[in-house]
Amino acid sequence: MAELTYREAVAEAIAQEMRRDEDVVFLGEDIGAAGGVFKATVGLFKEFGPERVRDTPISEQAILGAAMGSAMTGLKPIAEIMFSDFLAVCWDIVANEIAKARYMTGGQMSMPLVIRTANGGGSRFGAQHSQSVENWAMMIPGLKVVAPSSPADVKGLLAAAIRDPDPVMFFEQKSLYPIKGFVPDGELVDELGTAKVLRDGGDVTIVALAAMVPRAMKAAEELSAQHGIEATVVDVRSLVPLDTQTILREISKTGRLVTVEENPRLCGWGAEIASIVADEIFWDLDGPIIRITTPHIPLPAADALEDATMPSAERIVREIVENID
Amino acid sequence: MDVIMPQLGETVAEGTVSVWHKAIGDTVSTKEPLFDVSSDKVEMEVPAPAEGTLLEIRVDVGITVPVGEVIAIIMREGEVIEVDAGLAGKPEDPAASKAAVPAREVSIKAANRDANGNPLSPAVRRLVAQNSLDPRAITGSGMKGRIKKKDVLAYLANGGASRTVSAPPPLNFSEDDTEIIPFNKLRKLTADHMVRSKATSPHVLQAVEADFVRVARARAGVSGAWKKREGFSLTYLPFIAKAVCEAIREFPRVNAAIDGENLVVFRRVNLCIAVDLDFDGLVAPVIKDADQMPLQELARAIRDVSERARTNQLKPGDFTEGTYTVSNSGVFGTMITAPIINQPQVAILSTDGITKKPVVIETEDGDTIGIRPVGVLAQSFDHRAIDGAYSAAFLNRVREIIQTRDWATVLS
Repeated sequence: MAELTYREAVAEAIAQEMRRDEDVVFLGEDIGAAGGVFKATVGLFKEFGPERVRDTPISEQAILGAAMGSAMTGLKPIAEIMFSDFLAVCWDIVANEIAKARYMTGGQMSMPLVIRTANGGGSRFGAQHSQSVENWAMMIPGLKVVAPSSPADVKGLLAAAIRDPDPVMFFEQKSLYPIKGFVPDGELVDELGTAKVLRDGGDVTIVALAAMVPRAMKAAEELSAQHGIEATVVDVRSLVPLDTQTILREISKTGRLVTVEENPRLCGWGAEIASIVADEIFWDLDGPIIRITTPHIPLPAADALEDATMPSAERIVREIVENID
Repeated sequence: MDVIMPQLGETVAEGTVSVWHKAIGDTVSTKEPLFDVSSDKVEMEVPAPAEGTLLEIRVDVGITVPVGEVIAIIMREGEVIEVDAGLAGKPEDPAASKAAVPAREVSIKAANRDANGNPLSPAVRRLVAQNSLDPRAITGSGMKGRIKKKDVLAYLANGGASRTVSAPPPLNFSEDDTEIIPFNKLRKLTADHMVRSKATSPHVLQAVEADFVRVARARAGVSGAWKKREGFSLTYLPFIAKAVCEAIREFPRVNAAIDGENLVVFRRVNLCIAVDLDFDGLVAPVIKDADQMPLQELARAIRDVSERARTNQLKPGDFTEGTYTVSNSGVFGTMITAPIINQPQVAILSTDGITKKPVVIETEDGDTIGIRPVGVLAQSFDHRAIDGAYSAAFLNRVREIIQTRDWATVLS
């Protein structure tokens, strides 16, 4: 078992799949010789060469258009959108074409592609380069949506996404790129649509995604040590498919749900989970659902303001202590 | 939609509306009582036949009408009507405005609040309903004394669930050293039925003593797991009921009714379980085809009818077609009770306290004395229907089944 960074796990997963399947190709801005602006694709250009690892012009529509065309004609492309905010400029291709191709062709055509993108805040990049937009993708039928929180999950879930016959939106949280974690040696392929229970506690169930997972874990330790509150922490990992079986089971056990979401509050993924909980396990609830989110505002670039808006471990602790009884 | 006077029992032709729980214009539901009805046999709550709104009441409280008569009209769900906007406004505010909302929306009821006025969480409401608890009796540990799920579980663990029989309220004697306690409707019905039964049937009491050691072992073997899985304790009663059902197969004439000069013997065994309602009267809801049920299912059925009896949730069908009755006075540790027959049946069994006693045990090496859980099974039978030998043989068979059956295997 090796200790890898989150960014190294990205490159490992892509390399693993490119070695295994020569139809897998990789394209994006500065992903080749430069190794990616976040250094998440270092070494791939050298190993697989310019035919399979292609630097593109600065045109997100060109990147995704090319990925879509190559997927339609037999390749398994991985396309990188440098900042997930830029998905907005190619949303017609994503939402209307890529997501719908299998349906519109009556199943004659599949779309085996992965759109990787650096998502989320915490890096002082300002309102147009820091958004957490996984919920944009979640609401489009036809897309799978994954957002890992650890290096091992990055490797296993990205490999699974590349092997999936349908389009997968893969959201890497950019502030997590430097974090380290142990990743099993050898080939690693995880399962899409599975959540993970990271901590068991009897008092409250915290459901978190991506960068909010380590913060929820830190908060859970703090709650236990300082306040005698034991929290279960569930890492959602995949918004579509959503592992409702695991998530609802863990919420039923404690009767209390706290979602920790980086996305702005309105229509955040936690709202969807709250809705499913109300539909399916209402009678297991032992108190109001608590959603801890970024407020419905453009994310500020100033350090103190960005820190104040995104859910922090301290805020998670405070909100739970104040509201859980 | 018409609301009709329900059939309250096979021999009942009419019923009296004793309470209307809803007023004209109120939202009515299949899950909430609409009115109470009483007959010469029972008093019960009746829910609305459909979701909707009460449009018209045709039969006032105290009026007796034939079964099947239309007593009210409801407008079915879907149309816009006036209901209390308690959920949206401040529930404690008497001036809470009325708002037009679809009939489906319901407001929080007072019963869904704890002693401090806090609303109950869904999980707490479910536990309270399942265990027939009064939330105001539970101490809350949450904010502002809010009751949390764990508070209910703690309350149940401390015996809140096992319905301890409470003493009747203290009397307030007046100056002439008496207090007048008027009979309520159920008390009157019980009294009438008892007098009529004693006047109708020549009662004979017979009793046997049974050794419950095998039952006790089987219960001990599963008690923890059973309670955890089923949410209630496995008592002696289901075992006795099972033995009764089996013995009836060999002695069917105790499972009968008298009709004029005929004894009507029933093929089906529909077992009535007598339930004491906090000293306020007695009901005996029926478990249909009890002889067809495995022991576990019988235990659940007994629990179900007892709980529903105590929470006034019995339905008309729960009182019809009974063929034999078991009455359980065991909770007070009595030794023997001479029960009164549940007319028009011909026999009734009373089970009393099961206590440890020294018992002579016969073995090949001679007699020894052991400590065994022993209880008396007492049957009153109608001497018009059967004679002592038949009843005694039946009782002996019940005892034999209780003492010799491998109950641990039956349960596994």
